[in-house]
Amino acid sequence: MSPRKITTGLVMIIKTLFRRRIILVALLVIPIVFLTVVELTAPTRYIPFRLASLDIHVFIHKSLKHIALVFFAVTFSGFLTSLLALFLIQIENDVNRRLVICGYHPFELLISNLLALILLIMAIAIYIGFLVSWFVPVKHFFMFLVGLMLIGFVYGCYGLSIGSLIKGKLEGVLFIVLLANIDAGWLQNPMYYAEAHNNIIIRYLPAYFPSQSAVIAAFTDYSAIHARFYSILYGSAFLILALLVFYNKMKIKNRPDHVR
Amino acid sequence: MILNVEHITKTFGKNQVLKGVSFEMGKQSLYGVVGENGSGKSTLLKIIVGEWKPDGGRVSVNGQLGYCPQETSLFSHLTVDEHFRYFAAAYGIERTTWPSRAESLLNDFNFKKYHHTQVAHLSGGTQQKLNLALALLHQPNLLILDEPYNGFDWDTYLRFWNYANRLRKEGCAILVVTHLITEKKRFDKIFNLNQGLLQ
Repeated sequence: MSPRKITTGLVMIIKTLFRRRIILVALLVIPIVFLTVVELTAPTRYIPFRLASLDIHVFIHKSLKHIALVFFAVTFSGFLTSLLALFLIQIENDVNRRLVICGYHPFELLISNLLALILLIMAIAIYIGFLVSWFVPVKHFFMFLVGLMLIGFVYGCYGLSIGSLIKGKLEGVLFIVLLANIDAGWLQNPMYYAEAHNNIIIRYLPAYFPSQSAVIAAFTDYSAIHARFYSILYGSAFLILALLVFYNKMKIKNRPDHVR
Repeated sequence: MILNVEHITKTFGKNQVLKGVSFEMGKQSLYGVVGENGSGKSTLLKIIVGEWKPDGGRVSVNGQLGYCPQETSLFSHLTVDEHFRYFAAAYGIERTTWPSRAESLLNDFNFKKYHHTQVAHLSGGTQQKLNLALALLHQPNLLILDEPYNGFDWDTYLRFWNYANRLRKEGCAILVVTHLITEKKRFDKIFNLNQGLLQ
């Protein structure tokens, strides 16, 4: 592993990303537009709801608008990070392969991608966290940011796995949109989850632990340490899968024997 | 000996593309491989550089290998200079060494004025120059070129041959794979890849 190769890779990946206008638009405009729409349309009625990772007798009283804003902040963080991760791993794969032929180790490239992803996760979480806190009073802002970073980590690593497994861009986007929509955008909504049948299924989906962690931090004084721990575990499983598949795809299959 | 290719075989499904290809290249040699589309030229190169695994046979390289793929393999949103920097890291060239080498290649192939330009804004010919220059950055002693002068204008074509001859005099072995060779006299040997065998 060469630190120079990893840092050069990181710098080039960041440049490649931010020179595409669509990336900047997706990162800066989409969250503010969607959160503004939620702010303008969600009802302000207060309702009691339960969180799956807290005691069954604990009810939280919040307005539907506040719940929706926090929930959608989690959804956007996961969805955007996942798409960016897919983009990072799939884009210009042929050139990455050439870099491997020229001397990069596949893991060096993957670590550069992962570091770029971590920076993006933090930037997205901080940006969306501040946006949400402008609309909603958040109880534990830092821990709420951690929750947003965790959904970014889990869904980012999911994006890396999908990007490593699937060659087609459209198919990759489809896999991400489907899961993000069903899991992060629907089933983890506390309003839906509280009344859902077979909610054991929901507990095994990727967005469960990070969204619990973010919502607990946003609205309660309870600890979300277990949710944070399992989020890291879940994301790491996706990361390991991405590492193995990416390495297998990028490695030199038959490096020539060097006589010298 | 710089390159030794021994009994390479490769089959895709029921189609045996390479049926025991063998040849060797010494210092200062310039060989060409021609063949029809689909004859297995690019397959042979991908096996030599290690991108693909042969079903049988062995490839030995004595020294550093430079490879220029047929399709321009570049990052569309990085500049020419950034490509040199990225590939210099890949080759492990010292930070103090690569800028002068890059400058020399920019001058040799006459595209210095584009060194701050992103690849997406370069013409096809200039992209091909960069594609080739990246294979030369680490001063290899074996150069494998897959259709290297596709998209070159006449001036660049001549510059390419001047550069190739200079490299050759310095001891580099050059293998050019192309579907069409117009100037046979430039090569020491030309193989025809036909029905999986070199002739």
